[in-house]
Amino acid sequence: MALKKKKKCSNQIKIALAGNPNSGKTTIFNELTGARQHVGNWPGVTVEKKTGSAYYNNCSLQVVDLPGTYSLGAYSEDEIVARDFLTSDDYDLVLNIINSGSLERNLYFTVQLLEMGVDLIAVLNMADEARKKGIKIDHKILSRMLGVPVVETVASKGKGVENLLAETVENQGLQKDQLKINYGFEIEDLISQIISQLEKSNIQDSVNKRWLAVKLIERDPEAVKLLEREVSKKSAKKIKSLIAKTELKAELDFDSIIIDKKYEFINNIVRKSVTRPAPEEEPDNISDKIDNVVTNKYLGIPIFMTVMWVIFQLTFTLGDPLIGYIETFFEFSGALIGSFLTGFGFSSLIVSFVSDGIIGGVGSVLVFIPNIFLLFLGIAVLEDTGYMSRAAYVMDKVMSKLGLHGKSFIPMIIGFGCNVPGVMATRTLDSKRDRIISILINPLMSCSARLPVYVVFAGALFPNHGGLVVFSLYLMGILLAVIMAGVFNKFLIKGERSHFVMELPPYRLPTFKGVVIHMWEKVGAFIKKAGTIIFSVAVLIWVMANLPVGVEYASAESLIGRFGQLAAPIFAPLGFGSWQAASSLVFGILAKEVVVSTLGVVYAAGEGSLRTVLAANFSPLAAYSFLAMVLIYTPCAATLGAIKSETQSWKWPIISAVYLFVLAWVVSFIIYQGGLLLGIGV
Amino acid sequence: MPLAMMKSGESACIKKITGGRTARGKLTGLGLVCGKEVKIHSDNSGSGPLIIALGDNRIALGRGLAHKIFVDKKGCEK
Ligand SMILES: Nc1nc2c(ncn2[C@@H]2O[C@H](COP(=O)(O)OP(=O)(O)OP(=O)(O)O)[C@@H](O)[C@H]2O)c(=O)[nH]1
Ligand SMILES: [Mg+2]
Repeated sequence: MALKKKKKCSNQIKIALAGNPNSGKTTIFNELTGARQHVGNWPGVTVEKKTGSAYYNNCSLQVVDLPGTYSLGAYSEDEIVARDFLTSDDYDLVLNIINSGSLERNLYFTVQLLEMGVDLIAVLNMADEARKKGIKIDHKILSRMLGVPVVETVASKGKGVENLLAETVENQGLQKDQLKINYGFEIEDLISQIISQLEKSNIQDSVNKRWLAVKLIERDPEAVKLLEREVSKKSAKKIKSLIAKTELKAELDFDSIIIDKKYEFINNIVRKSVTRPAPEEEPDNISDKIDNVVTNKYLGIPIFMTVMWVIFQLTFTLGDPLIGYIETFFEFSGALIGSFLTGFGFSSLIVSFVSDGIIGGVGSVLVFIPNIFLLFLGIAVLEDTGYMSRAAYVMDKVMSKLGLHGKSFIPMIIGFGCNVPGVMATRTLDSKRDRIISILINPLMSCSARLPVYVVFAGALFPNHGGLVVFSLYLMGILLAVIMAGVFNKFLIKGERSHFVMELPPYRLPTFKGVVIHMWEKVGAFIKKAGTIIFSVAVLIWVMANLPVGVEYASAESLIGRFGQLAAPIFAPLGFGSWQAASSLVFGILAKEVVVSTLGVVYAAGEGSLRTVLAANFSPLAAYSFLAMVLIYTPCAATLGAIKSETQSWKWPIISAVYLFVLAWVVSFIIYQGGLLLGIGV
Repeated sequence: MPLAMMKSGESACIKKITGGRTARGKLTGLGLVCGKEVKIHSDNSGSGPLIIALGDNRIALGRGLAHKIFVDKKGCEK
């Protein structure tokens, strides 16, 4: 790289990453800041603003990663986040991340930014893919025609990022002229009339008048709001009627003309700066070949089911032997530490705290690290290859029967990992109604936190059919989600239906780094959760099991025992009316893993593993009913919090907490009482 | 004719886009504007969403939206 002359940075430079969805913004963000934000090969991965920092040549940069968007029109919540930030003026420079392989469409967004007067650098990312397709872009011409610097990058390999930093520092504070597209005689005339009206009405200097005028002609709702805020009612009305009258007189659709002219401008740039091979010389498109099979009318859904089955098998079959090792490790170290502490003359209370409270509680959850790891490996591969949006396409038919569409399926898949990002992922849906329904059914997607509960019980009570039992729970969750979506759609939530349109990105090989980062983050989060909330609750339960002073540890007379007895009658008709089961469910609302850790603490009678105790205390039928309860009942505190913040009201978290509890009770009741009647598993 | 009536493998030129502000705005952002050539990759045998090719991009498009896009099978004049 050529040495750039050093430029002094007086203040921190604030840069924003903006561009079309799936153009590689977050990949660049991670490269610039060393962060490990979520990257995936489908549009709509990032749904909130993230901030990080970078340094270059003594300059300190604040970097903001934004959700992707095709235009500043902002039709969904994630796009609104991007639009609001970009129109806020709270940054010095925009790095406009462009997918080099589809320059034309990406430039439509670039042009909108330039018209707004934003200072930007055009970053031609994914240069590797464009090259493979034989697409050549002349940077000089592109840079001259757009009037902005152009930098080429291959973010996934970290190429060009250093150069991008240099250009960023170089170009900070350079004020460029705002881009002016000629919209033709009629519109230009109208624009100047509006501008003079705006000037007459003493609008603030900071408002970009030409941009506002164009937006007003397009009848952009945000621009109309801005106008009404900035000028008097009378002037606003005057300007609006001026636009309406002129358009009527001209007998033209100004909105369409503006769009056409923008694309004309872009086409001209593309024609002059891009060369590509003749159609017949283009290399074969492998993605299309895969799509012919994967999105096939008859094969699509079976293939999707197979993919989920494989991930599931991977999680359990491969994970199971590993669990055994970790379990042995904890049992061994528990016993060792126990005898060690006793040997050193620690009181039996402390020994019990360590072996029952910590190892029995936290240890019983940490055992499942291999499963969590494998599950997220599966999801990461699903996300990184590009199959995610195909799954949405394939499921569109099913989803539209429920009044939703294919895109609503993506939050459901994410929910298999964790319901919190699942709930957040609904931001990409553009109707409020779709969002609420999707949020309400998301907790029915069995998340990774429920997995430890299933595995413990499956191992204890269904040693030969464990896999089948757990898979049936996942299916039950999906089925109930489908039914509930249909119910909400039919009876409860009214609103406009939205349209399904979604880009299908080319398939990409998951990068090793990407997948490892993804999983490391998730497993890290799991361990952190074990060390914080699960640990605290385990300690709390242990203390409650020892109080009042002098009580027998974890007996029915202990505090936890009495507490559990209060709740137990509710669950008695479902087959698990013991105080141990009841208290584990109540505390499980804090985090679903707590169900296991609580059982670990209260059943830690010292002898044998949790599995043996459970086998002695549950019939297979009661256990299955209990698992259905754990699957369906009230979402964990974090999910309820996410529902609250995403819907901006207490109404929806309360509704979901209540309806899911009732649903869980009913389903468990049917399972248990039905099973009793038929004499299955008693 | 509406794009929704086209069969797999056929190409056509977009002539007109009807529908509300939101629908049109979303299509415009994705590059589906008048004067563009599109090719149907999968017509899904006449029901459910289609897959269309617009240059190098592949777009899944609900049938409802596809009914709002009018095309000419003769293609775009160069
Ligand atoms: N071949 C190639 N792939 C890339 C490049 N940059 C990013 N990718 C891949 O493109 C996909 C999208 O990357 P992201 O960084 O998640 O894109 P984004 O712009 O943040 O997407 P949204 O958050 O959905 O708007 C991922 O699969 C990346 O690995 C590149 O330069 N070349
Ligand atoms: Mg992103």
